[in-house]
Amino acid sequence: MEKIKKQRENIMNNKSDIMNQKKVGAAMVVGGGIGGMQAALDLAESGIKVYLVETKPCIGGVMSQLDKTFPTNDCAMCTMAPRLVEIGRHKDIEIITLADVEDIRGQPGNFTVTLKKGARYIDEEKCTGCGLCVDNCPVRNIIYIEPEKEEVKLSTENLEKTTEIIKEYKDKKVSVVSLLQDINAVYNYLPENILRYISQELDIPLSLIYRTATFYKAFSLKPRGRYLINVCVGTTCYVKGASMIISALGRELGVRTGETTEDMNFTLETVACLGCCGLAPVMMIGENIHGKLTQAKIPKIIGKYREHIKLNKEVIYAKNKD
Amino acid sequence: MKTYRTHLMLCAGTACVSNNSFKIKEALEKEIKKHGLQDEILVVMTGCNGFCAVGPIMVVKPDGIFYQNLTEEDIPYLVEEHFLKGRPVQKLMYFPPKEKEVIPKMMDIGFFAHQTLIALKNRGLIDPEKIDEYIARDGYKALAKALTSMTPEQVIREIKDSGLRGRGGAGFPTGLKWEFCRKSPGDEKYIICNADEGDPGAFMDRSIIESDPHLVLEGMIIGAYGIGANQGYVYIRNEYPLAMKRLEIAINQAREYGLFGENIFESGFNFDIMIRKGAGAFVCGEETALIASIEGKPPEPRQRPPFPAQSGVWGKPTNINNVETWATVPTIILRGYEWFSAIGTEKSKGTKVFSLVGKINNTGLVEVPMGITLREIIYDIGGGIPGGKKFKAVQTGGPSGGCIPADLIDLPVDYEQLTRVGSIMGSGGMIVMDEDTCVVDIARYFIKFTNDESCGKCTSCREGSEALLEILNKICNGEGEEGDLILLEELGKAIKDASLCGLGQTLPNPVLSTLKYFRDEYEAHIKDKKCPAGVCKALIQYSVDKEKCTGCLLCVKSCPQNAISGKKKEPQTIDQDKCIKCNMCYEVCKFNAILKG
Repeated sequence: MEKIKKQRENIMNNKSDIMNQKKVGAAMVVGGGIGGMQAALDLAESGIKVYLVETKPCIGGVMSQLDKTFPTNDCAMCTMAPRLVEIGRHKDIEIITLADVEDIRGQPGNFTVTLKKGARYIDEEKCTGCGLCVDNCPVRNIIYIEPEKEEVKLSTENLEKTTEIIKEYKDKKVSVVSLLQDINAVYNYLPENILRYISQELDIPLSLIYRTATFYKAFSLKPRGRYLINVCVGTTCYVKGASMIISALGRELGVRTGETTEDMNFTLETVACLGCCGLAPVMMIGENIHGKLTQAKIPKIIGKYREHIKLNKEVIYAKNKD
Repeated sequence: MKTYRTHLMLCAGTACVSNNSFKIKEALEKEIKKHGLQDEILVVMTGCNGFCAVGPIMVVKPDGIFYQNLTEEDIPYLVEEHFLKGRPVQKLMYFPPKEKEVIPKMMDIGFFAHQTLIALKNRGLIDPEKIDEYIARDGYKALAKALTSMTPEQVIREIKDSGLRGRGGAGFPTGLKWEFCRKSPGDEKYIICNADEGDPGAFMDRSIIESDPHLVLEGMIIGAYGIGANQGYVYIRNEYPLAMKRLEIAINQAREYGLFGENIFESGFNFDIMIRKGAGAFVCGEETALIASIEGKPPEPRQRPPFPAQSGVWGKPTNINNVETWATVPTIILRGYEWFSAIGTEKSKGTKVFSLVGKINNTGLVEVPMGITLREIIYDIGGGIPGGKKFKAVQTGGPSGGCIPADLIDLPVDYEQLTRVGSIMGSGGMIVMDEDTCVVDIARYFIKFTNDESCGKCTSCREGSEALLEILNKICNGEGEEGDLILLEELGKAIKDASLCGLGQTLPNPVLSTLKYFRDEYEAHIKDKKCPAGVCKALIQYSVDKEKCTGCLLCVKSCPQNAISGKKKEPQTIDQDKCIKCNMCYEVCKFNAILKG
């Protein structure tokens, strides 16, 4: 703050000097992206000599790499091309590419800028920009060899299950969502090695699978408990105290939303709406709906499931052993 | 066909099923057999009756006696008294609050008496898993009429003249939408039924499919005929297993009867339907996102045009309508556009299904003519607010809608009027709030919801909702500052302007509408650091009313923090340092001795 204040004072003191000094009728625009280009054009049109500085070998910036621009879906090149041409032709715009700003001195109205210009190793006067050298450059044309992919292998048990699932999807237009739903139905979550395997077998990019798997709420990349507890946080349940039900469940199970108990029995999650607003607040454990909840009811309900788990020791959902 | 003296229509909607209506069915059948009445009385499992608040529900036909809150233990007595001795059981009938006498007949109950049924016309009357029962109620008659006596142009004309508008939210004229799709070039066209009912607090789509799946299918076939589509999809939420099951059964039955497949009714028209399951993403309700999801892509909305009517599923012309819209179509075709357009207001025709939920006595699903006032819905049908509390506001339109305050209670409900007061029709969720609901907290709730569900494509929606949420959190935690409200308004308007799809364009509505009508409540949070409704945890404290407390120790036992102490039969005290404000003591206290504030 102090510094800025001082600067301000200095400027105010020098104001009279500045007013008296002769202003230079030139401006420098640093950065030759679409913004810089437009600024340069606007300045030049109002009669000011413009130096357009760009660190890359050519102006255009990121927009020149785009097909469409957000959010209007306008064609990027249609916006750029006329400006590029105009800048190239404008008598008052001097383009300095491959240059970095080293130093700026002076005051508004009269700056001195030092640029560091990179070497091009060509005679700019003679070059016509035909592009032949680019095509024939041996350094640029290194051939990219894709590293060999490691083959994903599954245990026999998982292999059988997965083969069963992907049988239907072979040689077809695959809907990743339904594929993942099928895997989820078997494993109750999406095991990483299975996803890698289907990506390899069905030739679906792993990135697409990952993107889909993390977009939808029904999927989880972490193992989930034997019982999935989904507390409805629809508006009705919310006004009737769903958040208190969640904290009561959290206290009972010792987990937070999205977590699984250590014994792998319960996973606590929330759902946008179960459509049972008549019973609010509601939660769904497995496929059972429990309605008209109060905090006091929670220990009893969970207790029942715990008893049930004690009686039936076998695991309902096959655990992924890999 | 075998005929019975009496039919017992037992509700098997999700709410009643979770209250054990299937066990009640077993008990009923057992008792009926015990008394040798199995040839005279038939138990029918129907779809959702609508009056979910008092489930499980049973209606005795033909006399129309309405039984509620049934339990297995009631059944032996009920069967003996009513069906053997002919004396209806009073204690199981509907007892309206504040009244002295029970109401035995269903049609005399205010909840049912004020409704007009079109989309829900078969609810509680047929078994949704039997196509014959649907056909007996004039089912597929409209389809036969359309296929045999009308041209596709006439079908579209009829829907256009009826003035039917999309029931999914935006209210675009359905006939016009169909016409666009019909006129789009291409031989291959698709229709989609949007059953991805994401709005929290709305469950009419689930209920329609659960109680009358064939009505939706019939509407779809008629639409497909009008548009010229040969393939349909139903995109249904993952969270609705019962609806999915009933829909599958219905499709299979209809296929057996030749209502799907090739050359339907020998008209040369081919059509079939597939079900696609959602996976829990709210944004999939947006049509371009839904189409992407059907194709198996990540569901991100895209720029329109091209509209789905020009380029939808697999790049082919596609028409998307909501479940309720499809379910309204058969009745319009059967009874004619004049009949339909006579119901409703000038610009909003017909009826609309609302899910009347929240702090209201008669929670449930209601179908009412457009133009009905909020007062009629909340008091005549809904039976008012429970516990003698004061009505504060009603929230319509889900996360895209707004709050309508108590002084606008005489507002007629249609698309235009709701938009005028800063809310929207939406899919028809109607959440009633009483004085114990904090509007700032509700606004925060909706923003948190949309913030979670934003697909992340547009910066304004992704980051804007985050910023809104941050400010609202600050206000709820008692850290609100003077300029926050202006900032909220400014930000809300910017998000509206800069977002691509409906989700982003409408997400600030809950904040903007509550700011408009409940500014004083926001100011109380910021200036006085008080939450008038006693909801925001950081701004309230629990204490014991020494006069009312009897020292029953119920709260002491239930407190998870052991923060309440005191002697038996003497007033208790709460240790504020230990209290986590879980509200447990408030809930368990039978004497209203716990104070919030």
